[in-house]
Amino acid sequence: MIEVQDIRKSFKTPVVKEGRFSGIRTLFSREYRIKEAVRGISFKVDRGEFVGYIGPNGAGKSTTIKMLSGILHPTSGEVIIGGMNPHRERRAVVKRLGVVFGQRSQLWWDLPVRDSFDILAKMYAVDEADKVRRLEQFTELLDLQAFWETPVRKLSLGQRMRADLAAAMLHDPDVLFLDEPTIGLDVNAKRNIRHFLKLINEKFGKTILLTTHDMDDIEQLCSRVMVINEGRLSYDGTVRSLRDSIGLPTLITVTFRGPFQIPESFMATGDSSTQARIRVTRVLDQSVTIEANRREMNTLEIVKELGKWGELDDIDMQDPDFEDVIHKVY
Amino acid sequence: MTAKSWLSLYALLIRTSIKSRMQYKFNFVLASILAALIQISEFLMVAIVLYKFGAIQGWSMHEIGYLFAVMTLSKTLYRTFADEVHHLEKYLVNGELDQLLTRPMPVLLALMPQKFRIMLGEVLQGGFLLWWSLSGMMGSGQVGWSAVPQTLYIILTGAVILFSIGLATATFGFWTTRITELQNLTEDAARTAAQYPLTLYPKWMSSILLILVPVGLVNYVPSLYILRGELGWWVLPALAGAALLCLALSLKFWQFGLTKYQSTGS
Repeated sequence: MIEVQDIRKSFKTPVVKEGRFSGIRTLFSREYRIKEAVRGISFKVDRGEFVGYIGPNGAGKSTTIKMLSGILHPTSGEVIIGGMNPHRERRAVVKRLGVVFGQRSQLWWDLPVRDSFDILAKMYAVDEADKVRRLEQFTELLDLQAFWETPVRKLSLGQRMRADLAAAMLHDPDVLFLDEPTIGLDVNAKRNIRHFLKLINEKFGKTILLTTHDMDDIEQLCSRVMVINEGRLSYDGTVRSLRDSIGLPTLITVTFRGPFQIPESFMATGDSSTQARIRVTRVLDQSVTIEANRREMNTLEIVKELGKWGELDDIDMQDPDFEDVIHKVY
Repeated sequence: MTAKSWLSLYALLIRTSIKSRMQYKFNFVLASILAALIQISEFLMVAIVLYKFGAIQGWSMHEIGYLFAVMTLSKTLYRTFADEVHHLEKYLVNGELDQLLTRPMPVLLALMPQKFRIMLGEVLQGGFLLWWSLSGMMGSGQVGWSAVPQTLYIILTGAVILFSIGLATATFGFWTTRITELQNLTEDAARTAAQYPLTLYPKWMSSILLILVPVGLVNYVPSLYILRGELGWWVLPALAGAALLCLALSLKFWQFGLTKYQSTGS
């Protein structure tokens, strides 16, 4: 469905001149700063996949999405979407695309939500019966009715995002590109949006590529995740194996009642390659902080082992956060 | 899509833009009044120039008024439909062009109706000046009724030429982002210069105004034929050819510029 062949994008910005006629002088100047935003990315996405595309700010996520949707032309490399090149056949490709930029609305700012849908239907040549049928569906799923007659500029962020999503789906595209669709939303709004995305992926078989900084989006929605860093893909695979490949330890804090004895072999030493599956990282009065990888040792085993050290009073376990997993990849 | 459906989509987008602006009625009314006031002051300036200098280098008061009027009306026609081309910088600076590029229609067709302007002040000013100069020249027998349709025709070809110049200038923005100063040169300064007979200027400058930034083709060259019977009838079809050539070249340049669009970070 989406094929990307070694795309690169470097931005060439002229060094801006100061003083009189700066614009004209900049125009004819030969000084440039070159910034390579994307440095050779290739991947393939099959029909019906839900792919998360993550990376730190400035890694090239948005640039990639903009190249895929025909907004930016790659410096080199090729993009094929549904068998067509979005740069040579932009109009034909965008007809089959739905694009949502979380930071920016596609809707007509000053007009009621309804008007935007009327205009988009005309623009994409969606016939009246299809339009009505789809709108009924979306209204039910996204509760558009509540703000149907409200001007877009007066919508809350959550409402605006729902409207934008529905607008991107109005012409029934095969592929959806979502650039940070949950940015700035509250928990409830995020849940609504995720529910909708899951549905259109599973039930209607839409291929979705989503960028986000919210790891819950990735965990709950995506079957596959791609990590981009400094313009290159540093990971491409399932969410699960991403987590596994990093294998961050669980952090456990135990409080002992009375005296306790930590066996010598568990103390963290310079070379961490000791065969010990539990590492003590901090001892403070009665409480001891340890790290253990729960894939190597299950909870019961850990508790049993700790019981041997002294009388247990309290145990607090913290699973590695997905955020931390990602930090490790970045 | 057929030409007809493009046209109806274009009309719909223009209606949408008017509807959007009407959301802020006070601002809309005030802006229209202010624009009209500016036009009146500009008109007074033209009147003073005509009154003070009368004939310039063999061009009568009415003829110079005619040059002014044709230029004003051509510009008005161009800016009514394509004002946003002149304001492309705004779209480049904050990346608003992104949205237009995701729409299944030519970018220009999406851009132009973003903001439709009704330039009543300009139409009245230009119309009055045209009526005054044409009726003056008809009174003296210099021109006949055939000048009226010919004038309407050159206003149209002039608008196409001004649009092409505006589009080509705006396209430079894909490289420089900021284009105001270049626009001052190629659009405002050039147009102001061509409000007077080009014979006023040194040879190199009138050549620039005829070839590089061909504002002279908007009013000066056709006036030579329509008002003074110089050159020959072939001027009229040649103007259409020149206008289409300018349009084709600037569209080509625009298409190329689009591939250099850089958008903005998010």
